[in-house]
Amino acid sequence: MGVANAAILCSLVPVLILLWRGPTAWDRVLAYNSASNRIVVVVCIVAVATRETIYLDVAIGYAALSFLGVVIISRFIERGGGHR
Amino acid sequence: MNLAAYILMGLGACFVLIGSIGLLRFRDIYSKLQASGVSDNAGLGLILVGLVLHSGWNRHDITLVLLLLLMVITNPIVTHSVARSAFVQRHREEQP
Repeated sequence: MGVANAAILCSLVPVLILLWRGPTAWDRVLAYNSASNRIVVVVCIVAVATRETIYLDVAIGYAALSFLGVVIISRFIERGGGHR
Repeated sequence: MNLAAYILMGLGACFVLIGSIGLLRFRDIYSKLQASGVSDNAGLGLILVGLVLHSGWNRHDITLVLLLLLMVITNPIVTHSVARSAFVQRHREEQP
């Protein structure tokens, strides 16, 4: 279980690089969605490993809020907002 | 049961690593969307199924299954929304 956790944390590095140097705004939105998905699964692995089940509710809240944020930002860019 | 859980989690970790390499390698936004959407949905879903198998059938597994359903439903919506945003904006720039 620690191996999966370490693999997800290592795969967070290219996502953060994409978030940093993305040429367009959509790359950054995509990297934000990808990073939040990975963080949700890391929180789930920690919750199951340490048997603290209260963290699973935190993960559900984080997933719902990140979904809302990504959809709202992409609709905002679609209408022509921001500098792209 | 534990062996199946570890196999599923290892497979999911491989999917996630390959997908995040693809995020750096591809140049177009649609290719990046394809790499991210498919591999994240498969890999993270496999890891969550492995977690459900690992912890047995406790009461908090309902929360894990709910989180898995939420992720499976919302990831294609996010991918479609970002792709539609990029396509509409680029189309609008080409035809002023």
